[in-house]
Amino acid sequence: MALLEVNDLRTYFQTDDGIVKAVDGVSFSVEKGQTLGIVGESGSGKSVSCLTIMGLNAKRGTMTTGEALWKGENLIGMKDRALREIRGNDISMIFQDPMTSLNPVHTIGRQLVEAVQLHRDVTKRVARARSLELLKAVGIPRAETRIDDYPHQFSGGMRQRVMIAMALINDPDVLIADEPTTALDVTTQAQILSLMKRLQEDFGSAIIIITHDLGVVAEIADDVFVMYAANVVEQANVYDLFNRPRHPYTWGLMGSLPRLDADVERLTQIPGQPPSLLRPPAGCRFHPRCPYVMEVCKTTVPELVPTQRDPNHLQRCHLDEETKDREAAKIVAQTLAQAQAG
Amino acid sequence: METNGRSGNELLVVEDVKKYFPITRGIIFQKEIAAVKAVDGVSFSINPGETLGIVGESGCGKSTLARCIMKLLETSGGRITFEGRDITKLSRAAMRPIRREMTMIFQDPYASLNPRKRVGFIIGEPLEVHGLGTAAEIKTRVQELLDVVGLNPEHYNRFPHEFSGGQRQRIGVARALAVNPKLIVCDEPVSALDVSVQAQILNLLKDLQDDFGLTYVFIAHDLNVVRHISDRVMVMYLGKVAEVASRDTLYKEPKHPYTGALLSAVPIANPELGRQREPIVLEGDVPSPVNPPSACNFHPRCPRFVEGHCDVEDPPLYSFGNGHVAACHYALERWPMSADEMRRPGSKTAEKALPA
Repeated sequence: MALLEVNDLRTYFQTDDGIVKAVDGVSFSVEKGQTLGIVGESGSGKSVSCLTIMGLNAKRGTMTTGEALWKGENLIGMKDRALREIRGNDISMIFQDPMTSLNPVHTIGRQLVEAVQLHRDVTKRVARARSLELLKAVGIPRAETRIDDYPHQFSGGMRQRVMIAMALINDPDVLIADEPTTALDVTTQAQILSLMKRLQEDFGSAIIIITHDLGVVAEIADDVFVMYAANVVEQANVYDLFNRPRHPYTWGLMGSLPRLDADVERLTQIPGQPPSLLRPPAGCRFHPRCPYVMEVCKTTVPELVPTQRDPNHLQRCHLDEETKDREAAKIVAQTLAQAQAG
Repeated sequence: METNGRSGNELLVVEDVKKYFPITRGIIFQKEIAAVKAVDGVSFSINPGETLGIVGESGCGKSTLARCIMKLLETSGGRITFEGRDITKLSRAAMRPIRREMTMIFQDPYASLNPRKRVGFIIGEPLEVHGLGTAAEIKTRVQELLDVVGLNPEHYNRFPHEFSGGQRQRIGVARALAVNPKLIVCDEPVSALDVSVQAQILNLLKDLQDDFGLTYVFIAHDLNVVRHISDRVMVMYLGKVAEVASRDTLYKEPKHPYTGALLSAVPIANPELGRQREPIVLEGDVPSPVNPPSACNFHPRCPRFVEGHCDVEDPPLYSFGNGHVAACHYALERWPMSADEMRRPGSKTAEKALPA
């Protein structure tokens, strides 16, 4: 049985302009020790999906349906008190912005101790020892003295380490990381990613990593979901996704990455803007930006179905397999040239 | 020290530019107690039609350098020559005609446009300031510019909030183009944008360069973006130049260990290749520019650190031919290298640079 199983999750927000369908039927499951990558641009619903699972959306004006099964219990609609037991304990989350996610008026030690004592009946001394242990595990130098420092005394990368320490402090089974490295420099990003990989080996947690960076996904994920306009458009094993991408949006994402080979003067850009979720386009939501658009795309919503070759590779597109093979091969050849030149 | 031979027709020459921000104590009698050395002796030059990429981590002084070039900040030392004319000491009034020749695109398309002004006014304001044409002429020019950057000329009367992030950055580009400048300083123009939109803006910048013969100083922290758009690349670390080379040379044969570490830290969008290699993970953080490490400022994090040399003697910019220079006593012999190969026998990484 999967550790966490999400079925047909939908999150709608009531706004003055109408209903925003921020997540519209997302399903996935994650196993122990597995890393799941969710990729998409801003507004594609990747963060909202995870906030919904954690019960962190505002109550007012939010409609949620579907289920998120945690050891057989549905987290959606669970009582706050029960949810608090799980949140930060069994499932924890690392937020995007390390600059604003820590409380600036308390020392990091106090914040870590609080996280422990909320879920464990232990003395302050024990909780502090545990905090220190975690700070050391995430590679904070001179942890014994730094534990009494305030967040502003830490750099961005160090704060993100503190956030990771806080998320891991109760040995969670699932760790949700929402753009954990987006606010950081490349060298710090490399430090944090290798830290997350190492901690996963040590603690055996499942990780759900949300990012817009295909490079990060390629480095760390086992399975990948590509989201566009509140839907999953493609889902596959990381190697399959990068070697045989099946959806025009995925091709677009791969093509718009700047690459090395000097022959390619222009990036393959995806024309237009992501659609408004107030009034998503009829049929396939990607059709107004899709270079391969057909008549059927404008009227019929494609289902998320397995590809002919691989039952575990799902995609949501009307295009025939032959065209896809051809186009995917082109994109892969380009990205491969880039990667090898690097 | 001259970094490369001057051909005489460079558009912009920057020589030993410094920018120190004083840290003062006291209210009435302010005493300078220290200085943040944001830019500390940077030299480079740009030829017309060229794109110079400047990369570095946050806090390395790349944005401060951009502001010094634009004379938005007074330099603390050094010389900036634009089209053969020393602009370092020019007054605001004397600077004004030169401001037509060099413009800037800012990082945040949400903060760099006045939310209370219409797009037509925002783009037309530079023309008005420089007295280029009547109101009617300016309007025609603005509509032409909107068309050039791929926006609908009919959106002339809209407000910035009616546009998406990518469209706003196009407005920023149109504003920079309005006065037909020779040089555009782009300060992280795409870092706030989604990948697909980022590609649109990068393509636009390239097209404009071809059409109008523009020269760019392109500042970014994303090495892939810089690689895509630049002819030459300069790597900065803690206010100093670490390495300058042509684009292909820098990415294929980096000489400075910091450049190597940066390159190896960029995630590769290919799981097979990405997972084979072993990134060089640098220890610690970038030290504070208030109290930078002695001599080579990279030495506390450098895998090739040699005690008694790197922390004593400031490395000059050694030349490797074809304008390729790197500030390192122990330049990399080849590339790629793993972290272990990079480490010199007998050398150990200095004690970690810890934030105070």
